[in-house]
Amino acid sequence: MRHLARALAVSPLVALMVALLAPAREAGAAPPAAPRPISDKALGLSRISVFEVPSPPAWKAEEAAPGEKPVPARPFKEAPPVIPHAVADFLPITATQNLCVDCHAIDGPKKKGEPTPVPASHYVDLRHAPGKRGDKVAGARWVCISCHVGRTNAPPAVGSTFRP
Amino acid sequence: MTLKLTRRQFLEAGFTTAVVGLAGVPLKVLPAEAKGWTWDKSVCRFCGTGCGIQIATQAGRVVAVKGDPASPVNRGLLCAKGYACAQIPYGADRLKKPLLRKKGGKFHKQGDFEEVSWTEAFDVMKAEWTRAHQALGPTGVGVMGSGQYTIMEGYAAVKLVKGGWRSNNLDPNARHCMASAVTAFMQTFGIDEPAGCYDDIELTDTVVTWGANMAEMHPMLYARIVDEKLRRPGYKLLNLTTYSNATSEAADLEIVFKPNTDLAIWNYLAREVVKRGAVDQAYVDAHCVFAAGPVDIGFGLREDDAKAFAAEKETLARQRSIVLTRDEAIARGLDPATRHERPQSAANAAGKHWLISFEEFARGLEPYTLDFVAALAKGDPDEPLADFKAKLKLLADEYCDPGRKAVSFWTMGFNQHTRGTWVNEQAYMLHLLLGKQARPGNGAFSLTGQPSACGTAREVGTFAHRLPADMTVENPAHRTHTEEIWKLPHLAINPKVGSHITQMMRDLEDGKLRWLWVQVTNPFQSTANANHWIEAARKLDNFIVVSDVYPTLSCKVADLILPAAIMYEKWGGYGNSERRTQLWRQVVLPPGEARSDVWQMMEFSKRFTVAEVWGEQPVPGLEAEGFEKGKLPSILGAAEALGYKPSTTLHEVLFATKANRAVKWPDPVAAGKPNSTVTHGKLDWFPEKALFEEYASFGRGHGHDLAPFDVYLRDDVRGLRWPVVDGKETPWRFNDQYDPYARKGSGIDYYGAAMKKLKRGDLAGEQPGDPVGLAGKAKIFFRPWQEPPESPDAVFDLWLCTGRVLEHWHSGSMTRRVPSLHAAVPEALLFMHERDVAARGLSVGQLAWIESRRGRIQARVAVGGRNHVPRGTVYVPWFDEGVFINKLTLDATCPISKETDFKKCAVRISKVA
Repeated sequence: MRHLARALAVSPLVALMVALLAPAREAGAAPPAAPRPISDKALGLSRISVFEVPSPPAWKAEEAAPGEKPVPARPFKEAPPVIPHAVADFLPITATQNLCVDCHAIDGPKKKGEPTPVPASHYVDLRHAPGKRGDKVAGARWVCISCHVGRTNAPPAVGSTFRP
Repeated sequence: MTLKLTRRQFLEAGFTTAVVGLAGVPLKVLPAEAKGWTWDKSVCRFCGTGCGIQIATQAGRVVAVKGDPASPVNRGLLCAKGYACAQIPYGADRLKKPLLRKKGGKFHKQGDFEEVSWTEAFDVMKAEWTRAHQALGPTGVGVMGSGQYTIMEGYAAVKLVKGGWRSNNLDPNARHCMASAVTAFMQTFGIDEPAGCYDDIELTDTVVTWGANMAEMHPMLYARIVDEKLRRPGYKLLNLTTYSNATSEAADLEIVFKPNTDLAIWNYLAREVVKRGAVDQAYVDAHCVFAAGPVDIGFGLREDDAKAFAAEKETLARQRSIVLTRDEAIARGLDPATRHERPQSAANAAGKHWLISFEEFARGLEPYTLDFVAALAKGDPDEPLADFKAKLKLLADEYCDPGRKAVSFWTMGFNQHTRGTWVNEQAYMLHLLLGKQARPGNGAFSLTGQPSACGTAREVGTFAHRLPADMTVENPAHRTHTEEIWKLPHLAINPKVGSHITQMMRDLEDGKLRWLWVQVTNPFQSTANANHWIEAARKLDNFIVVSDVYPTLSCKVADLILPAAIMYEKWGGYGNSERRTQLWRQVVLPPGEARSDVWQMMEFSKRFTVAEVWGEQPVPGLEAEGFEKGKLPSILGAAEALGYKPSTTLHEVLFATKANRAVKWPDPVAAGKPNSTVTHGKLDWFPEKALFEEYASFGRGHGHDLAPFDVYLRDDVRGLRWPVVDGKETPWRFNDQYDPYARKGSGIDYYGAAMKKLKRGDLAGEQPGDPVGLAGKAKIFFRPWQEPPESPDAVFDLWLCTGRVLEHWHSGSMTRRVPSLHAAVPEALLFMHERDVAARGLSVGQLAWIESRRGRIQARVAVGGRNHVPRGTVYVPWFDEGVFINKLTLDATCPISKETDFKKCAVRISKVA
């Protein structure tokens, strides 16, 4: 839970932005004070003039080894979990090599200190043999990183009000 | 043995052609309601694949999505973006009130944004429209639309702009995306959109991707390819690209070619087909003709350099005249030792073409030998030539093998190309020669990038030259037909093609366009050579309105920002790359004062009277039969005869028609779901359904048949591939076993009617004589290889290629607000070769200047990972407004399609001091 809180942490600048826009969101509440004019610089993700050339910040890719950090909470149950460890050494996934599956294709439930098992859903081939559990990960799910993303230390660009 | 079993299983389990009304068992597989969640079927918001999703709502909010197991497209899976569909409405800075630049209490171009009511927003928007219209006529106003418009939104925009305002300045961002695919379809087949469908992935033996990094850009189609590859030994994936990308990772063969030499590789392949006797002679004789067109057609750049930055002039000069390189002379069969200067005089006739003989066709191919093409096309300077040659030969072997079915897929690598129409046509050239087209498992297949590039931009016709169902504004019969369906006076529709999206930017800079409404797109970030356009938008006398869900870069340059409803907050429909039309219900309400785009257009149309827009209007350059030069006639008299008074509003004429008002709301098809367009408009009718049905009337009986609105919303339907005739969809067009429009007994019938009367000629040009009818035939074009308008030189020494990443959609306005996607790829990186990095004294992670003749920006250096670029090439994704790469790209276009080439221009890179 603490982890999720960190993942959703919002930079002070973003918090200010949200605060600025907040009165507009509360329709039906007491009449809000006239909102302050918003400069175009304050809008959007870059928060600079469109004529400026910024120096992009440096973010760091996750460096943790597998098992070092907990599996992050998902935004909702059906969402594929984010990969909580460095991935560069385990890629690429080819037709004959899949280091993700090599570690994660184990029987559940998850045991402490062991990789998160690939769930039962991933053994069902929904195109060719729906309803049957196969003995290996379904081919359409072979490229894990199509759905499971890695992470960096970048905080959210703006906050999210999504809640499951 | 394995192969047979696999195929049978496939046919039993996966291969279904939906037959509406005959389905015995409903496909309803929506999960039972749990914890108060309601699940509905819907569609993914993002790419052209068109994955089916299931969407869960609770207490008026989206709470989850999952892949729809019943969708034949994606069978229960989604990519990382697809899963984000649940979160995209909920970025904290969602726009919820109109924002207008003001000073001293009223609109001021240099003011800051202040919240205003919709009434004030529309008042100012209308006053500014009138100011531009009075000064410049219908060409002084314009709308930039989108391949993310719903079908109904696109149709409303076409009606308002073309039918109401008599302007053809309506063009979508899809111009940047697949206009070249359209022009190639029209020239080759006489009708738009693919013959085949995604089922070809499982039915073919060889998949060849050309300029299509499917692993990142169409991940769920790539999943189907990988799935098939793992199941079936001998199934092959070949990837042709200008840099090693993620799609190469599961490929059997990767061919890294030099930018623009795809044209030469196709001609090598065609030459091999001819030399090896691999032509399917019966197919070609029965179904094809050969064709050619002018060669020196320019690069779609501005004709003059009055507005150019000093450094740009060099590249712009090539729009007027080029001196052939040694290789270009060889490719044209000329003496390479002589100087050949060629004026680009055919720029205005770029789309013209004529018939040639097979012998002429073969003569054109003759210079494209393996030796010539291999030396020309090798893209990795560190790869031995012999290896590259062997790969080209393998590629030819694969295509030529009569025992193997082949599908070629392409996306932006072909479409965003100064010879985009040609290179699309070359794919058809090869497949037609081999008889591997319009047959299950065989075909050249153009993939689209946006969820409704096909369904809306193309099928509805939101292009500057289009009307619905493949019709064009230039064709008098098409105009008349449209005027009749729309109940407009004769001569209402402007016969002069409007400005394409890049031209609209140039018009803005020239002061010829002074009022612009941007809907469902972010053109000030996505248009190449952006420094010009942001300057024009902010510093000249014009008025720019942007409707969006989040404050994008285009919002920052706008004068008025209108808060829009996002996909699941409105009713809509999209059409994907395989002609599958999918409709969805609104499941949640838009926040604050956000409104659907259909509501926005309908409300705005109430502010226009017939008297104001249908009098005589100036249209510079208009020349058409039945029209006075430079003018649209007054149609007020004719309007009166149709029962319209001068005070009748465009809302009454175009939207609240008697027929539309008869499509009542509430409607049982809603199954209890809301309709905010209805609520906000205080309507008793159902605009989205009425607009869909009116639009569908254009295509029914004309090869674009859609099913009735309600059918798409049935629980047992997961979209249908048009034409849908007698309740049955069409998986393969032009094939008489599947397509009811193909003449029975023909086998294959290329029945498209456009551009099917041609004169004869040779490679040099058209010859006098009567045109020949080409009913039922497709054209095999000879198209030569040429150099692009700008290549690396001593000063700007690297190729720049731009594109997407898996985690972000377009300019990132939605995906960058999803925390996990942003954390995964928080900024655009500069992908370089390690030796190019070292040679500039740079290191990985360091800041670098990237500079072209058009501007300069900074980005951080990356080496390897997903993109292994060869020496001499760099790749920068375009999603990140903080790494504004389109300030550097070149606004050269295919002269036929007017689609920009975002894949190649010259840059230099240096350390940030």
